[in-house]
Amino acid sequence: MLKRISAGWARIELAVAACLALGVTLLILLNVVTRSWGAALYWVDELAIYTMVWMTFLGASAAIHYGNAVAITILTDVLPPALKWGAAKLVDLIIFAFALFLLWFCWRWFAPLGLVRAGFDVSAFQAETFNFIYAEPTLTLRIPKYLVWLVMWLFALGATLHSLAHLLDFSSEREAPETP
Amino acid sequence: MTPFIFAFKLLIAVPVAIVLAMTSIWYIWESDNVVLYDSFAQKMFAGIENYGLLAIPLFMLTGELMNEGGMTKRLIDAARVFVGGFRGGLAYINLLANMFMAAIIGSAPAQIAVMSRAMVPTMEKEGYDRGFAAASTAAGGLLAPVIPPSMIFVIYGVLAQVPIGDMFLAGIVPGLILVVMFATVITLIGLKQDFPRGTWMRPTEAGMALLRCLPAALIPLAIIGGILFGIATPTESAAVASLIAFLVGWLVYRELDPKSLFSIFQRTAINASMIIFMIAAASVFGWVVIYEALPQKLAALITAITDNPFLFLLIVNLILLFVGMLIDGIAAVILITPILLPIAMNSYDISPFQFGVVICLNLVLGLLTPPVGIGLYIAASMGDTSAGRILRSLWPFLIAVAVVLVMLSYFPSLSLALI
Repeated sequence: MLKRISAGWARIELAVAACLALGVTLLILLNVVTRSWGAALYWVDELAIYTMVWMTFLGASAAIHYGNAVAITILTDVLPPALKWGAAKLVDLIIFAFALFLLWFCWRWFAPLGLVRAGFDVSAFQAETFNFIYAEPTLTLRIPKYLVWLVMWLFALGATLHSLAHLLDFSSEREAPETP
Repeated sequence: MTPFIFAFKLLIAVPVAIVLAMTSIWYIWESDNVVLYDSFAQKMFAGIENYGLLAIPLFMLTGELMNEGGMTKRLIDAARVFVGGFRGGLAYINLLANMFMAAIIGSAPAQIAVMSRAMVPTMEKEGYDRGFAAASTAAGGLLAPVIPPSMIFVIYGVLAQVPIGDMFLAGIVPGLILVVMFATVITLIGLKQDFPRGTWMRPTEAGMALLRCLPAALIPLAIIGGILFGIATPTESAAVASLIAFLVGWLVYRELDPKSLFSIFQRTAINASMIIFMIAAASVFGWVVIYEALPQKLAALITAITDNPFLFLLIVNLILLFVGMLIDGIAAVILITPILLPIAMNSYDISPFQFGVVICLNLVLGLLTPPVGIGLYIAASMGDTSAGRILRSLWPFLIAVAVVLVMLSYFPSLSLALI
């Protein structure tokens, strides 16, 4: 069950990441065109960068599901099967721990409870916590930056889901899901 | 304690990015700076909010598009026009085509995969030893990260905070030197091995081959020209190159099916995000490096041995050859640059461009050395031969690269001439 949710979610992440990669390409091309007309759009660069960052974190979460991140396998390749299995489980556990840490960091950073306690009054929240996350603007896009930062939640939740699915998968021979 | 945990995690095959992040988390915990956790996620995000990194997905996209679009074949045909008639012509064609390809593709493994599939069977059919065919192709792949555009230079440039366009310029002369050295190696091997004779093309054939390659040649022109003349940033020229690659493959060569675009973008997205995510993790790892004062401690150690920049670079080269044998090139650059660059710049007054060219070439050499030689295994599987057989023919090329490394370390002007 968890395995299937994880696979489905990874497919969605990857599809969105692919669209964002297309978006990056189109935005930079737009930049080239408008600049050669002498009418450069000042917000394109920032939007392209955020598009890339979103692509990265969604893709990185999907990569945890597909298990094709860059790793050093020189030692684990020569281990006997039982030890190899143990090492793989240990890796799953470390990735899961990382995902939980990241969830906790996002929680501390966005401080949702503090915001609720302040009655969603941002200035009261800031006065109390000295956390200015909800006041930070983007440079050229005129949207608050915390909206862009929300991708860290998506990443943390996605990574938790995928690593937990791997961790609880006790089949002796784990088949790596095919990357498209 | 931190270094042991770090090494242990690397060795049990935890993904490099997670190793960097978890080591930072561990270190913050141990040093009781828990308040840093509040900005951990923000710091990761901020580490990749960088205009230069946009070039990574774009260069990957260009490579994918030209793979699907039939451009490789045309470039090889064009190379045949220039060197096809020499004895051992195909070996030089291989080298020259690799040089063209290096001006389009920014990563050695990608280039080795493409070129091995295209060249090794052809060379074998004309009577070359398969091991030599695969070895010369794999060595040619080393040009990819040195001749612009280069993925590893983009990453180094971002980490070292130097302009990526200038970093690209720094790679041109060293890239050409490598080409000359490889050509010399091929000639020397030819003296011993008696290569098959080549044939020159008839003028009409040659004209057609050049004409057909012209649209594909627009891509390196757009990339190198745009950067060299300062018309476009590396990011912009990468985007233009991917557009040209798409249009040429689709409309001119008619080999690229727009329906395959979605899977091309999926591959681009996942491959690019794995690398950029490593950089995000490296930016929090920077905390550990700074708080532990690693560069200072290491600097004290190394400056006690020598105060000569050339000797320093030689030592670095030796260490990195070893590192490159164990760790993938790009991951190694991400790990090494924050630690060694400050020493090179502050204690030895070495230009960050020269340092970048030397360590990047050194670390991509690791792609061809066992036990962790991704490029070697790619060449072996694509060329349908064994890594051992390739190595038997490869070692002269590896020595040539080592000689170039020493030259680049001794003469800073080789890297700095065009900047």
